[in-house]
Formats: sequence, C-alpha cells, structure tokens
Amino acid sequence: MKMVIAVIKPFKIEEVTDALNKLGVSGVTLIEVRGHGRQKGHTEVYRGAEYRIEYLPKVRLEIVCEDADVEKIASTISESARTGKIGDGKWWVVPVETVGRIRTGELGSDAL
Amino acid sequence: MSRGKKFFLLTTLTLIALIAVGQLNHHADPGGPAGQGNGTVLNATKAATNNPLGITKVPLSATGMQTLANNVAHVAISVNFTWLLITGFLVLFMQVGFAFLVTGLTRAKNAGHMMMMNLVSFVVALMAYYAVGFAFQFGGIAPIANLGGTSPLTSIFGHGSAGVIGLHGFFLQSGNTYDVGVLAFFLFQVVFMETAGYIIIGAIAERISFAGFLFAEVAMGAIVYPIYGNWVWGGGWLSKLGTSLHLGHGAVDFAGSGVVHATGGWAALALAMLLGPRIGKYREDGTVRAFPGHNLGYVVIGTLVLTFGWMGFNPGSTFGATDLRIAIVAVNTLLAACSGAIMAMAWTNWKWGKPDISMTCNGMLAGLVAITAPCAFVAPWASVVIGIIAGMLVCWSVEFFDKKARVDDPCGAISVHGMCGAWGVLAVGLFADGTYGIGWNGVSASALHGVQGIFYGDPGQLGAQIIDIIVGFIWAWGVMWLLFRIAMRFIKTRVDPEVEIAGLDEGEFGQICYPDFVIRTETDIGVTHELDAPVGTSAATPVTSD
Repeated sequence: MKMVIAVIKPFKIEEVTDALNKLGVSGVTLIEVRGHGRQKGHTEVYRGAEYRIEYLPKVRLEIVCEDADVEKIASTISESARTGKIGDGKWWVVPVETVGRIRTGELGSDAL
Repeated sequence: MSRGKKFFLLTTLTLIALIAVGQLNHHADPGGPAGQGNGTVLNATKAATNNPLGITKVPLSATGMQTLANNVAHVAISVNFTWLLITGFLVLFMQVGFAFLVTGLTRAKNAGHMMMMNLVSFVVALMAYYAVGFAFQFGGIAPIANLGGTSPLTSIFGHGSAGVIGLHGFFLQSGNTYDVGVLAFFLFQVVFMETAGYIIIGAIAERISFAGFLFAEVAMGAIVYPIYGNWVWGGGWLSKLGTSLHLGHGAVDFAGSGVVHATGGWAALALAMLLGPRIGKYREDGTVRAFPGHNLGYVVIGTLVLTFGWMGFNPGSTFGATDLRIAIVAVNTLLAACSGAIMAMAWTNWKWGKPDISMTCNGMLAGLVAITAPCAFVAPWASVVIGIIAGMLVCWSVEFFDKKARVDDPCGAISVHGMCGAWGVLAVGLFADGTYGIGWNGVSASALHGVQGIFYGDPGQLGAQIIDIIVGFIWAWGVMWLLFRIAMRFIKTRVDPEVEIAGLDEGEFGQICYPDFVIRTETDIGVTHELDAPVGTSAATPVTSD
C-alpha cells in the first residue's frame, strides 16, 4: 500500500475533489498548510516596515491506496490541479506499512 | 393537521381576538395623533400630573409674564442638560470604537489583553477621576451659563490668573457638589478623561503587565490629565494668559486637542520609551520588523465608531444646544476627518505603492484629533486644510517614531494623538477667524471679535497656543515618565519574554480570546535571544533524557 501526498493551490480543491470522486477514490485527508517551492514568497509593506510573506497558503491532500492505483490517482491530481502558473504544487508517494479501519477493526486492503 | 400547524393557527386566532377586543375598547387620543395637544397649557390644566413644569394658565400681568419667562428659561436649561448628557453618552461609545481599533491593530495572541485593558481603563480611571481628578480639574471652574449659572465649584488654589488646582468636588461630595448641574458636567467631563486614559493603551500594548497598566490608568485619571486640564479648562493659569500676559484669549482648546489627545499621546510616549520595544521589533541589523494587525476589519469599524462618537465629543463641548454654533462644530469635525483620511490614503499610496488600510484609518483619526481644538472657531475651508495637514503629519510621524526615534508604538497613538493634538492646538492660533468666542476665558477687552488666530490679526493668540503646547508636553510626558519610573522600582511593569512571545492572553489573564483557533505565537524570527537561558547556568545544558 502507498500514500499519495499532494500539495496544491487552495482554490483547486473543488476541481481535484470532483476528479478524485469520479475515479472512485474511497478516502482523502485535507490539511491546510503554508509552503513554497521555487515560487518563493513576496514582500509587503505595513505602516512603513517591510515584511516577507515566505509561506503561501496551500492545501495538502493525503490518499492511502493500493500500489496499482497510485499512477491513476497521481495523474488525476496532477491534471486537475494544474493552472500552468508558478506555485501549482507537487505530489509524491510514500510507502504505507499497515492500515486499519477504526469502526470495524479491518486491516490491510480491507481497510481501504 | 400536524401539531405545529394547529399551534400556529391557535396563536394567530388568539392574536386576532385580542386585537379585536382592544379596538372595541379604543378611546380617542386626547392629545391628537401628532401630539398637538400634549404640550398646550389648556391640556395641562386638565390633568396636572401630565405637566412637568406645573404650567397653568398665564394671566396677562407682570407676574404672569415673569412666570412664563422663567418656564421658558427652565426649558432652555433642560435642553442643555439633555444635550450635555446625550453627547456624553456618545463619547462613552467611543470607548467601543477604540477597543476595536487597537485590538485590530495588534496580534491575535494578545486580543484578550487588549480588550481587557480597554474595559478596565474605563472603570479604573473613572473611579480615580471621581475621587480626586474631577475636583482637581474643575473644583474652581465656577458657574456654567448653559447649565443654569449656579454652581458650588468655586474653589481653586492659586489666586486670580495663577490657578493651578481645584479643591471642590472630591468624591462628588465636598463643597456641596451633590448637585444636578455638577453631576451632569461630571458625566461629560469624565468620558473626556477616559479618552485620554485609553489613548495610552495604543502605545503600551502587547508587553505591559496588568499591574503596570493599572498604575498608569490611575495616574492618568487622578493626576496627569486633571491638573493640566485645570490649567486650560478649569480656570487655571493657561486659560488666563489673555488677562495676565495679554496673549489673545489665553490658551484656547475647544474640545481638547491638547487637554485630551496631546496629553494622552505624550503620556503614551513616556510609557513606550520606558517599556522598550516589543521583542523582535528591531532586528540586529537595525531594520524594523512589521507586526501586522490581526483584524483590519476591527480597525475600520473602530475608526467609524470613533468618528460617530466624535459627533458628541466636539459639538457637546458647547455644553448646550442653545448655542447653535454646534452645527458648525459638527460639520467642521466631519470635514477634517475626511480630508485627513484622504490625505493619509494618498500619501501611503504614493510612498509605499498601495493605499494602506490602517494608515487611512489613522489619517481619519488624525483629522479628528487635529480639528478638536479649533472646530468652533474656524471656517469649513480651514477644517479641510487642518485635516489635510494632520493626514500628512500622522504618516510622517508613524515612520519617524518607528524608524528614526525607534520608539515602538503598536497603534500609532503617539502620532495620532500627541503630534496631531499639538497641531490642533497650534491651528487655533493660525486659523481662528474671530466669528465665535467673544469673551472666551474672560477676555472681554476686545468684545468686537471672538477667538482669532494670526491669519486674522491676533499674534498673541498664537503665542498662547505655543505656550500651551510646550507646557502640555512637559507636563504630560514629564509627570507620566516620573511616576512610571518610580512605579518600575516597586512593581513589574513588563511581562516576561516567554509570556510576551506566547501572548499575554494566557499569561496575564488565563483566558484566550480566540480559543477555537490555532494562534501563531512566533514573532517570525529565527532566534529569540531574550528566551535563551543565561550562559553558564544549568538551564543552558541540553536535556539528554526525557
């Protein structure tokens, strides 16, 4: 099992969610985060003093899935979250050791 | 039919039944639908209980005429009492405005602390002013014509033109001051004192201890504000400069650019200097770090509420609605407010590339502060000019204190109230056009014109204003500096660095203003040296076990 993690622009949530739902993904976690890649932050002025906004608001999605589904999910996220402008985000995959469903106690693939 | 529908039907039918029964018992309104009959003498004779002045039919005789005249005078006094109290209530509402303003300009982790200070400044300073402050300021002011002319406030220490402190009215009792006129006047004056009291909050925010704050508020209400206030408004020596030194009409300050705002601003400067800047405000390389306010919505709401309250602050200072100059005062106030806001907006747009929301608000307040002294004495065009200059002054001043003087003033209180308050006092000496204020401060030598500035031929007035500004600065800054410096030896006036970083809400009050949100507590700096354990102590060694 693997976990697909994606950091995307916040206004893309709806589009990405719709695409994932169409795919039939069974579970997604959303976390509000701040971050930047090569986009970097920007500088503003407040009452004469400059300050840097280093980290921009982003949204992090986490999806635990079977190995076979990783490619489909990653490409779906990538296409639906893309605007073509800097700051679109990244996705990556990490291995998952075990998964358990809390309500029923099922383990492994039955818990997905 | 469902239970809900049954209940609704039953209620509606009951209501209709009650209305119908009421209508059947309807009697014609003896006063008439527009109240035409309510106030007439004929109506009054029928039911003496509806007759507040006990007016009866007036016989056409000298006594009858005199009684009528007395009744008219009583009504005029009643109108003035009403005016004084209602405008006083409007000034009280400014407390709400300032609470929003300064809470919005500071960080979320301190929101509870800011709100608490605004609440408590009101209650603590009021008691200090009730106990001694009012007596110090107005104990010897003598009769106020608009309120009926009789008054037990007749004791001032310092003969003739050298009055320095009042002595009637301690606890609103001494010297027979348990009197309707005195108390109406007290209400109006206490809310003015409160304004000076909460101004300091803007500069001491986010690092002062609650004990230090309480001390500062008592000092303001009991000593700093009232004594200088006596000198300008209470019949004291600054108001008598017209008689003693032939300087115009003496120090003239209609509603308190100097007495209220500059006093608050300079006291704030002393406190900010003694407290030192917030942790992280100045980087090691000397550049200034911005601490953006957490809610600019509050800042705008606060500014507009303050503007509304100012409609009581300035026009109320005639102490009566029988003085129709109130109309000019009110309009002048609004003109300066708006021109100040526009100027600040334009300035920040020009200087920093975008119009700054918080500075636009400060610009509006700067205009209001600056017009507070001259509002009764100047023409509308002059109000616009005064506001424009105030808008520029406040923008320049905020940057000056932040970067050059390196005095950390979280809400710009020193700039808005100190600098622009002084400008307002000066503006009287420039733009006052003589159309109002004949006999002001007892100067009746030139009974042909009222208060006049240098542009209209009275350089003496400008002299009096300049003396007023200098004395006001020395007193407010000096006395607050002295008192707080002494207090610093006995009480902890600044919170610990850990409390300051985490936010004063929890550290000082054990209550968080926004418990449902994850509040950022970092000051956006990498290292906070103030929080490091001192070198060489056991606390500095790293913990190896858990």
